[in-house]
Order: sequence, then structure tokens, then C-alpha cells
Amino acid sequence: MKKRNRRGLSERNLGYLLVLPAMILILVIAIYPVVRSFWLSLYDVRLNDPTKLETHSNYGIDVERYANSMPFLISSLNKEIGKAEEGNKDRLTSAKEKVEKARSVLESNPQLAEQYKKVDEILFEGKNVPENLQFVELQEEKAQEATQLITEARKELKALEKAEALDQPKRVVGLSNGLLSSFIEPNFVGLKYYEKYFKDPRMWDSLNNTVVFTVISVALELVFGLAIALLINRQFFGRGLVRASVLIPWALPTAVAALMWKFMFDGQNGVMAKIFTDLGLIPDMGTLLTTKFWSMFAVIFADVWKTTPFMALLLLAGLQTIPNNLYEAAEVDGASKIQQFFKITLPMLRTTILVALLFRTLDAFRVFDLIFVLTGGGPANATETISVYAYKTMFAQMNFGAGSALAVIVFFCIAIISILFVKLLGRDLISDGSGK
Amino acid sequence: MRKNAGVLFYFFLAVFLIAVLFPFLWVAVTSIKPPGELFGADAFKLIPDNPTFENFVKVFTLRPFGSYLWNSTVVAVVTTAYCIFVASIAAYAIARLKFRGKSLILGIVLAVSMFPQIATISPIFMFMQNVGLTNSYLGLIIPYTTFALPLALWNMTNFFRKIPYELEEAAKMDGATTWQALWKVIFPLAVPGTFTTAILVFIAAWNEFFFALTINTDENMKTVPVGIALFQGRYTIPWAEISAAAVIVTIPLVIMVLLFQRRIVAGLTSGAVKE
Repeated sequence: MKKRNRRGLSERNLGYLLVLPAMILILVIAIYPVVRSFWLSLYDVRLNDPTKLETHSNYGIDVERYANSMPFLISSLNKEIGKAEEGNKDRLTSAKEKVEKARSVLESNPQLAEQYKKVDEILFEGKNVPENLQFVELQEEKAQEATQLITEARKELKALEKAEALDQPKRVVGLSNGLLSSFIEPNFVGLKYYEKYFKDPRMWDSLNNTVVFTVISVALELVFGLAIALLINRQFFGRGLVRASVLIPWALPTAVAALMWKFMFDGQNGVMAKIFTDLGLIPDMGTLLTTKFWSMFAVIFADVWKTTPFMALLLLAGLQTIPNNLYEAAEVDGASKIQQFFKITLPMLRTTILVALLFRTLDAFRVFDLIFVLTGGGPANATETISVYAYKTMFAQMNFGAGSALAVIVFFCIAIISILFVKLLGRDLISDGSGK
Repeated sequence: MRKNAGVLFYFFLAVFLIAVLFPFLWVAVTSIKPPGELFGADAFKLIPDNPTFENFVKVFTLRPFGSYLWNSTVVAVVTTAYCIFVASIAAYAIARLKFRGKSLILGIVLAVSMFPQIATISPIFMFMQNVGLTNSYLGLIIPYTTFALPLALWNMTNFFRKIPYELEEAAKMDGATTWQALWKVIFPLAVPGTFTTAILVFIAAWNEFFFALTINTDENMKTVPVGIALFQGRYTIPWAEISAAAVIVTIPLVIMVLLFQRRIVAGLTSGAVKE
């Protein structure tokens, strides 16, 4: 540090003050969601089940649903009793008594009684129920007693429905279902999802696919990238133009690149499929995207096309920092080109290669766009990576708890890879500038 | 840069350039093919018999591609502007001011930039749904912070560190106040690095797929990458229209890359190479 600390304490505080907004944003928008993902993965959260939209640690009741079903159920049961035949009257009455008992059990909770009144008025006026009135927490015994009473009553009503003894069977049974679905049970499942995925062959397959994709594509990108960097690390005509054309695949949205390749790999009209067939690599054009091996090949091919230029640029920048006199000295000492490459180029490029590998490995490991667009994970999950599996679990099955568990698995894999690389890189990666 | 280029060199260079550029060429050819020439033997012709711009018209008339472009532009511009603003302040502090914990801060920033998006999506999606921000610009701008801010902060810190301290000192010696030194000396020198970072952030935000796919599902709120990827045909995938859309996306990209290639390369390599 050449600069003297003139402002003393105030410079330090100014520093913290200026860094604060960025750190708060990162904390709230990036770090908190990861922690929250882990939290969600411990619960059975499903966005297609109204009682499981959130994490619930306790028993509770949805007051709006309750107000929309309980009073109407009782009044329609009264009507049914009035219309029922003699033999069924007793059965209906006992069902109604059970529901009423459940009601008195529940509304002995003063908070529910009070909130119910308010919500009822709001609903009567046709307004939306505010969030803070929506739920009431219940004691476990009371919730279970009420649930059991209503379940018994519903059983009775269903039997009567079957016997065609009800005047408005759909309404009565529907209301009893609605009433039951207003109960919220705790959906904490602990590490159950992790246990489940640990035994899930599809999870292991997708993890395996991810590793295969990552290792092969990153290795190929490194080899090709290095070759290209060595190739263009010299003076030649049209250097700028070459550099610009190399940047275009990198700058193109991955989704669009994936689509272009999907078109060229197409089994009927794909030009690459045709070229591969003509070369005798594949028996017929359809093979590329319909077989296990070749679909993985196609995905890796597209990724190598898209990211090798990026790799080449990073390595080229690294090559340009190697002082020329090292090579001149080696030349004088009679070292061959190959010796120069292994004794000078590779050791001098070590940090650059490791940094490039780190970023590429992490990018490849969390691959989503390319595979989602190019193969959708198919055929028969042959190219499904773990991110794609997690996405499908969340957004196709709406199973956010289980999907979060998969996402957390991805997170930990990424964390392990990063730690390994950072260990290899040491403090080269993060230096605060004071050492320079 | 000691070697001179020979014939063999130009041969390899040509092979490499063809490999890189062939897909673009092919897509450009497909985009001007009429429907009849997309299938069968015609599908592999390099020069269409009856070139047409019909596919480009269709992209805008039959599909809300104009909205996709507008949505992507708004989201990418706002994300870039706000992340650059927040990051430049923090990067200035990290690069120029003396305080403890910088390594920790940079470590956190780097770690966050490695986060997989999938690990943040469930809480972010549930939050957006609860507050009604799905299918809105803000619904994408907020989660885009997760990658844009670390990217901006990391790059700008690297750039700002290269501005020599002596200049600021000299300005102060000449009687400039801290703010004058900042405004008249540091700021002009910081412009190139800021601009380069802005290009990188903009491209990252423009290309983002995962959040856009999950959060903005409404047809009129989709961004370009998601919109094109989900182009639907009645019977088959509309490859000609997809090609036309891909060409439309690629042209501004080519222009941008041609104009700013030096800056982009500097930005991409600033973290990886220590000078």
C-alpha cells in the first residue's frame, strides 16, 4: 500500500459504508435463497396442493376455507335431514352431530372463533381475506379430534351418497371435502428426501450424466482451446476478425445455440446428422438424438462448439503474459519445441488453466439451458442432468420440497468442486491487491 | 508473437473458422428458405432456389417476437444499470480504500458467482408468486442480481485496481479535494473498465434462460431466449422461423462484438490472468 492512511477511521468506515449496499443485496437475493432452499427441502412443499403451499411446523386451519365450508355444510345437512327418508334420518343426524361437535371443539379456540367472525364478514362483503387473518394455529389434539370427527361424518355421507339417499349429494360431499382440506398438517419431513434420492436410481443416473458431460466437454474444450490459442498466438493477417468471430458463439444465448444444433442434428432435415451419416459415423440420421450414446455426444458436441472459443481466449491471454526471452533462452540451450511446450508454456499457464477450468467446470456442472432445449433430458433420461431433474421435479410435478433437495445436492457438488479448485489455486484467485 | 504464419497455419485457421461459423451460415441459409425447400433433398441445399424474407415477417406478425425483444431489452438494461451502479461504489471502496475484510468480501462475491441458479429458484419463485411479481420485469430484474452483481463487482474491482494511486495523490497535492480528485481524475479513468463490465453484464442478462423460463411464463412477458426456445408449430417445429429469429438475435451481437471485441476480451480475461 503506497497510500498513507490520511483519513484514519473515517476511511475505514467509508469503505464499509460503500460496500454495504452490494453486500446486503447479495445476502438477501443470493445467499438467503440458498439457505431457504435447504430449509424447504426439509418440508413436503407442493405448489399444487393448497394445504402444502408453505412450510408448516404446526397444526393449523385455513380460516377462509373453513368459513366457506363449515356453516354451509351444517345448513345443507339440516336440509337433507328434512328431506330424508325415515331410515336415513338418524344416520344424517349423527353425521351432523359429529360435524357440530368438531365445530365446537375447534371454536373453543378463542382465536379461531374471533378470526372466523371477521373472515366471515369480509367474505360476506365479497372482499379478499387479508393474509394475517388467513390462518390460525391449532393444538395438535384438537386438530386431530376435529379431523377425525369430520372424516367419520364424511364416510357416512359418502355411504349415503352411494345409496342414493341424498338430495344434493355433490354439494354435501364436496363441502365435507372442502372442510377437511382446510386443515393444515405439519409437513416437516426432515431428511426424508435426501434419503429417498440417495436410493433413487434416476438421481444417480442424472448425477452420472452430469459428471460425464462435465468431464468430457471440459477436457475437450481445454485441449481444443489450448490448440487454438497456440495457433493464433502470432501475428497474422485478419487477427482482429478471427478474434471477433471467435467471440460470437460465446455471446450467443445458449438457448439459441442449442436450438441451432437441435435443428442441425434433426433426424430428418438436420445437416450435421446427414454429414455424420455420410461419413459413416452413424447408421442413419435418426440415431443422433434417439440413442443414449449419440444424444450425449450431440450435447457435448454443441457445448464444445459454444465454449471452446471462450477457453481459447482465456488461454491466449495467458500465453501473451509469458515473456518471450524464456523461449529464446530455451532455443539457445537447444530445447525442442515440444520440450519448450512442456517445460515453459504449461507451467507458466498453470494458473490461467486452473482458473479457466474452474469456471468451465462449474458452468458445465450446472448445465441447464443447453440440455433443456436440445434434448429435454431425453431420450429416456439419457442426457438428463441433475439440474434438469431438479427443474422437472419442481416445475412439472410442482414438488418444491423434493426439488429443493435435488437443488441442494447440486449446490453441495458445486461447493466441493470449488473447494478443490481453490485449494489447487491457493490465494492466487483472491488477492486483495495489497500484495501487489 | 514471435512466429510467422505459414500455409499450414492458414489451413488450420480456415478449418477452425469454418467449424465456428458454419452453424451461423446454415441457420442464415435456412432463414431465407421458403417452406417447400425445408424438407427432403432441398433441406441440404446451400443456396435456396427461391429465397424469401417471409420467415422474418412471420416472426413478427405471427409471434410476439417484438415483445420478446422489448422485454429482453428492458430487463437487461435495467439489470445492467442498477448492478453497475451498486457494484461501482463497492468496487471503488475495495480497490481504493483501506479497510479490513476485503478478502472475505471478495471471497463471498466469488462464491456467490458460482452458485447454481437451481439452488436459488424455489424460494425466489415462491416469493415472486406470493407478492405477484411473476410475469413482470421486476420479477426477472431481482433474481438477475444473483449473477449480475457478483460479475460486475468482481470485474470492476479488477479494473479499478489498475488505476494508479499516484494520479489521485498528485491531484490532491495540487489542491484538489477528495471529491474533485474522484470526479476529475478517478472517474474518467474508471469509465473504460465500467463500460467493459457493463457489456459483460448486459450479455449475461440478455442471455439468461432459467429464471426467465420459470418466472415469466406469460406469452407477452417472455424474453428472447425463452421465447425462441418455446416457438411452437402446429405439426412440426417451425425451423425456418426459428432460424429467422436466430439471425435477428445474432446480427446485433455481431455488430456489438465487432465494435467492442477488445474490451470484451479484456473483461473476460481480467480475472483469469495476473499481469
